[in-house]
Amino acid sequence: MSPRLNYFRIFLTFARNSIVRDMTFRANFLIDCLSTITWSLMDLGFYILVVFRQTSQIGKDTGWGEWEFYTFLATTKLINGLVQAFFMPNCEEVSELIRTGNLDFALLKPIDTQFLISLRKIDWPALSHIGVGSILLSISVWHITHREDPAQITLLTGVLYLFYILCGVAILYSLMISLAATSIWLGRNESLYDFWFYITNFSRYPMEIYSGRIGSPLRGVCTYIIPVLVVVNVPARILAQPLLLRSDSEAKWLPLFTAVAALVCLALSRWVFYTALRSYRSASS
Amino acid sequence: MLPRLTTWWTILRISLQERLVYRGDFALGTLMRFLPIVTQIFLWYAIFANLGTGVRITGYTYEELVVYLLLTMVARAFSSMPGLASTIARQIRSGDIKKYLTQPVDLLGFMFLSRLAHKLAYYIVAIGPFALVFFLCRNYFTHLPDAPQAAAFAASLVLSFLLGFYLEACIGMVGFWFLEVTSLLFVYMLFSFFLSGHMFPLDMLPQPFGEIVQYTPLQYLAFFPAQVFLGKIEGWALVRGLLVEVAWVTFFIVLSRILFHRGLKRYSGYGG
Amino acid sequence: MPVIEIENLSKTYRVYQKQEGLLASVTGLFRREHKDVHAVKEVSLKVEKGEFVAFLGPNGAGKTTTLKLLSGIIYPSGGTARVMGHVPWEREIAYRRRFALVMGQKNQLWWDLPALESFRLHQQIYRIEPQQYQETLDELSELLDIGRLLRQPVRDLSLGERMKMELAAALLHSPDVLFLDEPTIGLDVVAQHRIQQFLKKYQAQRQVTILLSSHYMKDVAALCQRVVIITGGEIKFDGSLSGIVDRFSGQKLITLQLAGDEAPKNLARFGQVVEEQLPKVKLRIDKANVPAALAQILDEHTVEDIVVEDPPLEEVIADLFSQVQTPVGND
Repeated sequence: MSPRLNYFRIFLTFARNSIVRDMTFRANFLIDCLSTITWSLMDLGFYILVVFRQTSQIGKDTGWGEWEFYTFLATTKLINGLVQAFFMPNCEEVSELIRTGNLDFALLKPIDTQFLISLRKIDWPALSHIGVGSILLSISVWHITHREDPAQITLLTGVLYLFYILCGVAILYSLMISLAATSIWLGRNESLYDFWFYITNFSRYPMEIYSGRIGSPLRGVCTYIIPVLVVVNVPARILAQPLLLRSDSEAKWLPLFTAVAALVCLALSRWVFYTALRSYRSASS
Repeated sequence: MLPRLTTWWTILRISLQERLVYRGDFALGTLMRFLPIVTQIFLWYAIFANLGTGVRITGYTYEELVVYLLLTMVARAFSSMPGLASTIARQIRSGDIKKYLTQPVDLLGFMFLSRLAHKLAYYIVAIGPFALVFFLCRNYFTHLPDAPQAAAFAASLVLSFLLGFYLEACIGMVGFWFLEVTSLLFVYMLFSFFLSGHMFPLDMLPQPFGEIVQYTPLQYLAFFPAQVFLGKIEGWALVRGLLVEVAWVTFFIVLSRILFHRGLKRYSGYGG
Repeated sequence: MPVIEIENLSKTYRVYQKQEGLLASVTGLFRREHKDVHAVKEVSLKVEKGEFVAFLGPNGAGKTTTLKLLSGIIYPSGGTARVMGHVPWEREIAYRRRFALVMGQKNQLWWDLPALESFRLHQQIYRIEPQQYQETLDELSELLDIGRLLRQPVRDLSLGERMKMELAAALLHSPDVLFLDEPTIGLDVVAQHRIQQFLKKYQAQRQVTILLSSHYMKDVAALCQRVVIITGGEIKFDGSLSGIVDRFSGQKLITLQLAGDEAPKNLARFGQVVEEQLPKVKLRIDKANVPAALAQILDEHTVEDIVVEDPPLEEVIADLFSQVQTPVGND
């Protein structure tokens, strides 16, 4: 009697509703896009005007020269754009839903609750991150394929790159939704989002900069325990390939670890989410 | 005078109480705010590493750069005014501002004093975490300022508080003319984050940008105080810098008064 | 077979004393003061298909909690329940498609968009066939008189109109069981009446099984044959409406505001004097005697104001408890 649940079509409806809503606040939409682009330009400006005028590489013999680093930066923007556009507005809303008790409605719907909670709203202006990132990526990739010792980029590289971007998004999403779910137990948690911001701050730079007495353990924790470092580093490395300059084994099996980590994180976050739901108390108005 | 003083004292007491009750969370939160600096420190280390030891980048050694970043945190504790402009804009939008037409209460004066109280309460409780961080990083402080420099540093911090307050107050009062100030505010925050020197010392900028930022008041919010402490600006240049800062502060105080009066007049012109 | 079967259902909340600040929180990790709140205590109930049952009780009685347990929103501490053969808290998708929960003063529709957009989303989520959807929508629009409001953003609607939209949204998928949690709360009298009329018609037409929780007597009086009174998480009375109606409408509460320093002249002969705080006097008079009593009172006194009302619900229920010590079966 009934057609199968078409999650993709439902997602499209979410997308459409979000656009319609955003369009009623047109001025805000434009200004949001503008501020996103401004931020990106400023950030880029720091590297163009300051950093790379002083040095040709970030870190000794790390392979992160100027255009390689811009590839890294572009990857950061692509991943952040995806996370901010699709998941951030929803995860932010979760603690509000719990506080007001409106999570009830999500629980009533005959649809996977995590899907509903995670994708209900889309922050369209955040996609301008992807726009800026793509432009930056194209320019950087051109440069690194035309340098003295050109980077080898094939179709496989491109596919792997996209795959690892998705892995990165998956890891960040899992972290985000798990934190959001804990608000069922912890109640209002503003500092949780600050916590999120500070943790992901680590992901925005090449792994190689973390060295030394404090740096190495930090790097270990952020790679293997809370795998934020692999989020951007792995896809960026696949493209910009400083991998060639490093012959240690880590470089070889890090991609494999990342793919596994993405799956594990997703599974873990789903478990956390559903376990948290069991303790849901449903505030009354 | 006296009632205002007692009000101020009450605000101070309450903010202090608030912060002390949550002092654990608060201390943790303050410490966490240093985390982005941690990544910056690593980044700069990597940048310097490629250049060899003892090299200076536009006159900064690695140690000085780390100290610079820590100092911007201190300056930010003085000059940042979270929510000031948006509170003013919101009061304008909601019509609360109308009561200042009829009551002999000075909005700016009141907000200034309450900010002062909040900041003092903040410093009292934040001094612990800050001291801890500075102690951990004590090896980076290769050069400490002498007495006159320290005095100038203190003066620049006080001035940055005044500047930060009146600058944001002016922005908030743009709400008398434009309804949607929050988006404008956001763009301002973006610019001020970079142009005040929070991310990197402004004198690292190549020309013509280096020239341009000299003409904005934003540098006094973080860059200038840090410069003073590091001894990068001294003698006559230091005095001149302070004087220019005083001039900016005066400018914004006057501007805020003008905007407030004009704005109220315009507002009451709409009636009801 | 009963549509709803509840046996010894319980829900207990452990409420911890809130800790302030980090230091207290840390010690709180090891030893915390707590209190157990028994929201629902061993409730047992059977409801047949097509019944319209009211949960009546004061705030905090456990009515809402029971409905939420039956909707699968929260997990029970003990006991069992089956609705249409499903265990609610297993939250099977098949179960969620067959019932609906409407909560007064809580909105699920997208705020800035027209209700129609939310309805369309509903259609997709509940997998309603397009033709079926359109028919149901037309029918509901007519019954609720919301046709012209469908394209307006929800935030522009009045409270009553929004409630009607919520109802429509809940019924789009033609649920077999409907849970209503204080649907008329906060609405004006006219809106309340309209919703009551709608529910009556809808239920009669479709033979839907409805559980309605309310603390408004009027909702109950207008709609339900069977009333379940819940207080303190327990069922105190489960019977037909007429039993209770007879009880409470047997008397009326009259509040008199006497003029100036008028002294009441033996009002006790009309009924029971509940309260006397001059110039105000409250009387309880049997319904049948009210007109005659009023006429005589007005004759003998100068009265500035009179209020004639039903005794308050809490009083009625309290009245009921003083007579009913243990849960009783159907009348």
